[in-house]
Amino acid sequence: MDRYQGKKVVIIGGTSGMGLATAKMLLDGGARVLVTGRSQGGLDSAQKELGKGALVVSSDARSLTDIDALASRVKTEFDTIDLLFVNAGFSIPTPLGGVTEAIYDEMFNLNAKGPFFAVQKLAPLINRGGAVVLTTSVANVKGLPGQATYGAAKAALRSFARTLAAELLPQEIRVNAVSPGPVETGILEKVFPTEEMRAHVRGHTLGIIPMKRFGTSEEIAKAVLFLAFDATFTNGHELPVDGGWSQL
Amino acid sequence: MPRLKNKIAVVTGGSSGIGLATAKRFVEEGAYVFIAGRRKAELDKAVAEIGSNVTGIKADISKLEDLDRLYDTVAKKGKIDVIFAGAAFVEKAMTLTVSPEHFDKTFNTNARGTYFTVQTALPHLNDGASVILVASAGKNKGFPGRSTYSASKAALRSFARTWTSELKDRKIRTNVLSPGAVDTPMFNDQFPSQDAAAEARKQITSLTPLNRLARPEEIAAAALFLASDESSFVAGIDLAVDGGLTAV
Repeated sequence: MDRYQGKKVVIIGGTSGMGLATAKMLLDGGARVLVTGRSQGGLDSAQKELGKGALVVSSDARSLTDIDALASRVKTEFDTIDLLFVNAGFSIPTPLGGVTEAIYDEMFNLNAKGPFFAVQKLAPLINRGGAVVLTTSVANVKGLPGQATYGAAKAALRSFARTLAAELLPQEIRVNAVSPGPVETGILEKVFPTEEMRAHVRGHTLGIIPMKRFGTSEEIAKAVLFLAFDATFTNGHELPVDGGWSQL
Repeated sequence: MPRLKNKIAVVTGGSSGIGLATAKRFVEEGAYVFIAGRRKAELDKAVAEIGSNVTGIKADISKLEDLDRLYDTVAKKGKIDVIFAGAAFVEKAMTLTVSPEHFDKTFNTNARGTYFTVQTALPHLNDGASVILVASAGKNKGFPGRSTYSASKAALRSFARTWTSELKDRKIRTNVLSPGAVDTPMFNDQFPSQDAAAEARKQITSLTPLNRLARPEEIAAAALFLASDESSFVAGIDLAVDGGLTAV
């Protein structure tokens, strides 16, 4: 398989779940890939899973200092890139009354501010004809209890896709978003501490997804790669991969 | 790996423009394709151009007996995995001048014809099939002279939502593909003169963030994504392939 031969890709938030699945698919297709992550355990397991061919870099997606350092590293390793996939993000489900300033800031820093500056700092390295893909979420068009700050931060990200698409037109860089619904990524285990909570979320979710199942990381990865390399006339768009949840 | 290996696809409006490009791409990806079109000569030309693994069937989707005949022929080959419902009628007309004949022809082809293209196909579809309804970026816009065309295409966007719900037990996915302006014969044919077509081309180009018309192959690439397992968790959506026209 050489579908991605010669492509150079940076995945921010690429050590697990959807980012990792995308990295795997790209490596299998002949691309060179750099993924970032935060926890040492995640970085180690990703390196093991992706093999020596992949660059696995410790970088906090919320930290502007780290993003600067990442841009220099990418310049050194790849010089230029063809795809920037900004995937880092997560939710701390909290009902309105429980949202502290710290939770609020965390949600916006990770899901909106970090991605914005990642694009700002790395866009100069993207080749003409290249692409940016942002991971939004079905939560940005839904009213899911406990997801006010996460949903709003992702809505901000969805808006960035529009404006950045317009601003990067002269460089011929397309900017699009992939919007996952619930995906089996292991994130449930991170977000919900008890199996009882997880079982509740799973049952509730399956009840409302028209396709009656969770998505897989691979299904998100395929959509990302479609937006990145095949969707050459699609720009500023958000592609839902959510089993119909946001649409029906 | 061909992405539609041993699949059977039906492409209406398959003798020119985006339908032809899509049929070609599907065949390249390993499918057997039935193309339906109203004009025998155009159909023969398209079949010759595609070369192999293709059958042309003369059919007007606004006539139910034609649809019956279409699927009777396809059924001899096997069950259908992909429907690309691309047949459409477009005629520019300002609201003040729209005749009941123009109104009916537009809705009978685009909305009613597409509805029965899918309904008639249902007994012939494999479980897990992908249904692609070709709408238009115009349905999200208020372009003068497009009242009937855009509204008839908006109806397709609604069909995709309902069918996703109704057909979920058979794992049949329905999605909409919304092209912007595409460089096809149909684009020119809707204008009274070459000068008018050139003027319209200039105008839509200036409105489109990517500053050009789409190539039919770019629509075909999006159709392939929706047709194949790459979009296996994508259901009921509207995929914009419009150079950012509706997104930015």
